[in-house]
Amino acid sequence: MDPEFKFEIHKDSMGDNIRFYGNIDSHSEQHFEELFQRITGKRVVLDFSNTVRINSMGIAILLRSIKSIKAEKKSEVAITGENRTNALLFRMTGIYMLASQYT
Amino acid sequence: MSIRTFRYGDRGTVISVSGVVPTVNAGCWTREWEISSSQDKGRIIGQLHDLFDGKDEDIDFLGQRAELIVDEMLENALYSAPRDFTGKPLFAKGSERLILPGEKISLRCGFDGEQLFLGVNDSWGTLSPETVEHFLSMNVSDTDPESDRTGRGLFIMWKFLDYFYVDINPGVETSMGGVLSLYPAIAEKGE
Repeated sequence: MDPEFKFEIHKDSMGDNIRFYGNIDSHSEQHFEELFQRITGKRVVLDFSNTVRINSMGIAILLRSIKSIKAEKKSEVAITGENRTNALLFRMTGIYMLASQYT
Repeated sequence: MSIRTFRYGDRGTVISVSGVVPTVNAGCWTREWEISSSQDKGRIIGQLHDLFDGKDEDIDFLGQRAELIVDEMLENALYSAPRDFTGKPLFAKGSERLILPGEKISLRCGFDGEQLFLGVNDSWGTLSPETVEHFLSMNVSDTDPESDRTGRGLFIMWKFLDYFYVDINPGVETSMGGVLSLYPAIAEKGE
């Protein structure tokens, strides 16, 4: 069975750290709407360490979410914890054009 | 009957390679699944995960890519291929559905230790070569990543697969697939 998607937000003085669990695909869309409402930090780190698979629908959701966070929340977005496959995916689909790699 | 096989070359041009379909060596591990519902996707990907997970870093990487490609192949066959007579999709992406009477979707894979062949067939034949060409060229020249750009799944398959083919028998069948290598060129190029 595919692991179910969920996210956790950890807030500190630097901003919001968001950890994703499971797959990001068409079933994740509603969760991202909730996620957007809960973001308050001016620096947002998206942590994919526990993410399994991101398909093309998941990429569309991520692109839309990152654009909204930057445009409407005026927050900087960074990415961390992506595996080799998701790193390639982010590079070829333009995710890295919108969000920097967090080091 | 009209069959056309083609692939994109390194420079983004369409190359007709009619009749050329990748094969894996005799004696390799092979498996074929007949899809009966959308629920099968998770089950099949779970089996692939068990096959490749935890062996070593390169095998893990192959397994990750295989799971992604199978996800895209089955999403395409389950939700993009079925269309009504006006060309409108019959099913929303992500919806649960059973295979229709007379509909057939099958997935095949074969692994010889270094190359993993993946192929999917659907009994719709609704994809056109022009659409494939359009989807690939649109995503290749992507300098402003649009969130809702069409054809991204096909583009992802083409980018990850070391060889990518599409066979279309209009109104009858679409077959697509390719080969993932244990040591892929895409990782070396960092694309």
